[in-house]
Amino acid sequence: MLLHPPLRPMSHRETRKRLSVGTITLVAVVISCLVSTHARAQDGQDPAAGGALMLQGKGLASALPAVRLGTDMDVTVSGQILRVRVTQAFRNTSDKWMEATYLYPLPDDGAVDTLKMVVGQRVILGKIKRRQEAREIYDQAKAEGRKAGLVESDRPNLFRNSVANIGPGETVLIAIEYQAPVRQLGGEFAMRLPLVVGPRYVPPHSLTDGAATADAARVIAPLADPALGRSLNPVSITVHLAPGFVPANVISPYHKISVVEAGPAERTVTLAAGEEPADRDFELRWRSASADPTIGLFRQTLGNQQYVMATITPQAKVEPGQLAPREMIFVIDNSGSMSGESMAAAKQSLLHALGTLRPEDRFNVIRFDDTMTQLFEHSTLASAEQIALARRFTEGLEAAGGTEMLPALKAALIDDHPEDPGLRQVIFLTDGSISNEKEMMAEIAAKAGRSRVFMVGIGSAPNNFLMHRMAETGRGTYTNIGDGAEVMARMTALLNRLTAPAVRELAVRVEGSALSLTPERLPDLYAGEPLVLLGRGDRIEGRLVVTGKIGNKPWSQSVDLGRSVESPSVARLWANRKIGDVEAQRWSGQLESEAADAAIAELGLTYEIVTTQTSLVAVDETPARPDGARLKQEELPLLLPKGWDFDGLLGRDAPLPAASAPPPEQEQMMELPQTATGFLGAIYRGLTLLGLGLVGLMTLRRRHVVELRS
Amino acid sequence: MSAAGWHRGARGVIAAASLALCIAGLGSVTQGVAVPVRAGLAQDGLAREFTRRLESHRTTLATQQAARGQAIRRIRPVGAPAATALALPASGPIARITVARLGVEEIVLAGAATHEQLARGPAVLKQGDAASPVTVLAAHRDTHFLFVRDLLAGDEITLQYVTGTEERYRVVRFETVRWDTFSYPRDPARPLLALATCYPFGGAEYGGPWRRIAWAERIT
Repeated sequence: MLLHPPLRPMSHRETRKRLSVGTITLVAVVISCLVSTHARAQDGQDPAAGGALMLQGKGLASALPAVRLGTDMDVTVSGQILRVRVTQAFRNTSDKWMEATYLYPLPDDGAVDTLKMVVGQRVILGKIKRRQEAREIYDQAKAEGRKAGLVESDRPNLFRNSVANIGPGETVLIAIEYQAPVRQLGGEFAMRLPLVVGPRYVPPHSLTDGAATADAARVIAPLADPALGRSLNPVSITVHLAPGFVPANVISPYHKISVVEAGPAERTVTLAAGEEPADRDFELRWRSASADPTIGLFRQTLGNQQYVMATITPQAKVEPGQLAPREMIFVIDNSGSMSGESMAAAKQSLLHALGTLRPEDRFNVIRFDDTMTQLFEHSTLASAEQIALARRFTEGLEAAGGTEMLPALKAALIDDHPEDPGLRQVIFLTDGSISNEKEMMAEIAAKAGRSRVFMVGIGSAPNNFLMHRMAETGRGTYTNIGDGAEVMARMTALLNRLTAPAVRELAVRVEGSALSLTPERLPDLYAGEPLVLLGRGDRIEGRLVVTGKIGNKPWSQSVDLGRSVESPSVARLWANRKIGDVEAQRWSGQLESEAADAAIAELGLTYEIVTTQTSLVAVDETPARPDGARLKQEELPLLLPKGWDFDGLLGRDAPLPAASAPPPEQEQMMELPQTATGFLGAIYRGLTLLGLGLVGLMTLRRRHVVELRS
Repeated sequence: MSAAGWHRGARGVIAAASLALCIAGLGSVTQGVAVPVRAGLAQDGLAREFTRRLESHRTTLATQQAARGQAIRRIRPVGAPAATALALPASGPIARITVARLGVEEIVLAGAATHEQLARGPAVLKQGDAASPVTVLAAHRDTHFLFVRDLLAGDEITLQYVTGTEERYRVVRFETVRWDTFSYPRDPARPLLALATCYPFGGAEYGGPWRRIAWAERIT
């Protein structure tokens, strides 16, 4: 018997040696990598530290601003397109030369195409330029003391006007014009003019770098202390209503209006009070006195392309039938921005919805502010006890804290039975006051599965861009509930729409030529909703044929394009909607960010509309500000939206700094970058490690020597 | 296993760990040493580039002057442009900053103050111009702006641009501020130069919110 097989132990030892050398080198490489990345890791701290500043918003304006603003809106509704001229008068009440910036909202499907700056008797027309170029032209004019106006957009529904070099006692007028489609729902036509941007919550996790911080800074503005009253930013509105039929039931739910007949099929609507503060959205609704018109057709020829806008309401008999059991997830926002009337309206809406659930339906309720609570771990059957539990949960909700919507959305989209053919509907009740809208759309695009997302925009100034796009990406629909009085009517209408089967798999073709359609992916239509499509083609004539499916039955409708009406707005509306498609491709990851930006810039420049990549700039040639006169900058504060509770918003929400004094007017703040390498630290660490290693080797050598000797 | 075998195993582990520590240590030391070495080499290259740019600007200006001189003698062309002010470059060396007393000379780079740029030399955070005559430069406190530690009030700093213009400043005061509370006057009595760097000097760590600013006032 061999105790030590001769060859194998030798080779065994050698392979072990080789292995150990290999592992040692690997470990060493890993350690040195860790050492170096640890040094780098501290790099990420500073941008987040800058975020602390952002969380506090731009502070509270406790004094009236030096530049006072008055706005006038002149709206012309022709058919189903509205054209609006917004004139903002910036009046400098101080004795210094001022630059003023103002953040304001516009309808998210509006396309801004004109800027006129009126200085004394002169009218200066603005030009569309790339965003960076426009900003440079404006800055140059500002530095040279010339009057300049700049219109920039940071979200489809957020715009920022900057006016430079307003002399002491002077007034500069900035007039912009845009067009937007009229929204139609269940035979009622509506036009919504948002007037104020509510304070937005900026989630700390979204402030990843300087660019994200700068973007967040652009969607917020200083808030006017309620003690200043409501005389800030007054708005006057005039609407020339010419819808193409005799309008009836012309109402405005949030303002008092006076309606005057200007013709058999025309009305002139003005605010009863003349002027109202810019603290809530203005909505105008009307119906047709005769049978509901079901088709609206507009066309425009621009260059060698033809554009068509068609509004088609499916005239299909929808049998309610027996609705299969479905799953409904309610997500309710109880952040600080909801405190006041919005929370009451949201709770009422949710209680109403809970009351419509049947015992065979499954449901769950999720509430979120900067934390999140899911009522049930999994969707549960809507038995009487569970509904009672949910009612108590809802009634106990209080509004406070930040608005971290993403975790709630993620939780709501978790589907326990993704293969189930039944309906799964997620209903969001929120005001949408967040800055990270695209994260929501990206999440829905990625994870929706079979869930449909429906948005209930609550409050006097909801973020309708978010409502619109989340619903569209989630193949659902949305509604607005402005105050408590609307809850019953609107929730009932929404829930009814949800129960009827939708028209799905819509497709459009036209005889003549191929159409480039937006939206590219036609949405599903719910009861009472028309299909609004915008198309571009070389030759659009003949008939437009729309096909789809209701339940399992095919449906189609065709329209004669010869009956279309000329309108000068169709091309721009098409381009604006196309930009929405590009954005959808960006947040679903189909398009790289740079490619998306380039596509948007291209559309903005070709059709001359303001986008996130293109701005309108107007500069006066004559220098006005004398040498030596300093320019003072001011961002105009915004009123708190009506119905919002100031204390509730400030209490535990992103706190506004109490004693953050603005920098003295002579000083300009600047952030200083990281300017340390820490190489000494790397050397010290290296020497320590080397020292330890050498000590280890020394002890080994000594021990080895001792063993050899003994 | 026998005691001897156990001993051998333990020795093996210690040997492995020690070797690993040695290699990691050497790696870290090399990384550390590489920083000032790289900074110095970059400055040498930049100094050559700067002198080259200075020369080429001088010759361009001379030829322009000559051309203008000739043009006046002949017919003045319609819409002849005035002597073009040579614009400052957007990248690469833009200026040379010298402190006579300390014998320090650094080439300042144009462009954004990214980590890459700062590894090569000081960067311009804000270029002073007619409207706002405050120039702010920033550089690493361990390498290019180490001399800020040794600056005293009254020292003279010379800033020479590639266009040939030379500006002389005198240090007036120092301040230590947090990175986000720094501000400069919009309308100072005299044009100012600010040298900004991380603080404290000799710190072994990367990062930290404090900055040391040396303010200097223009004398010519």
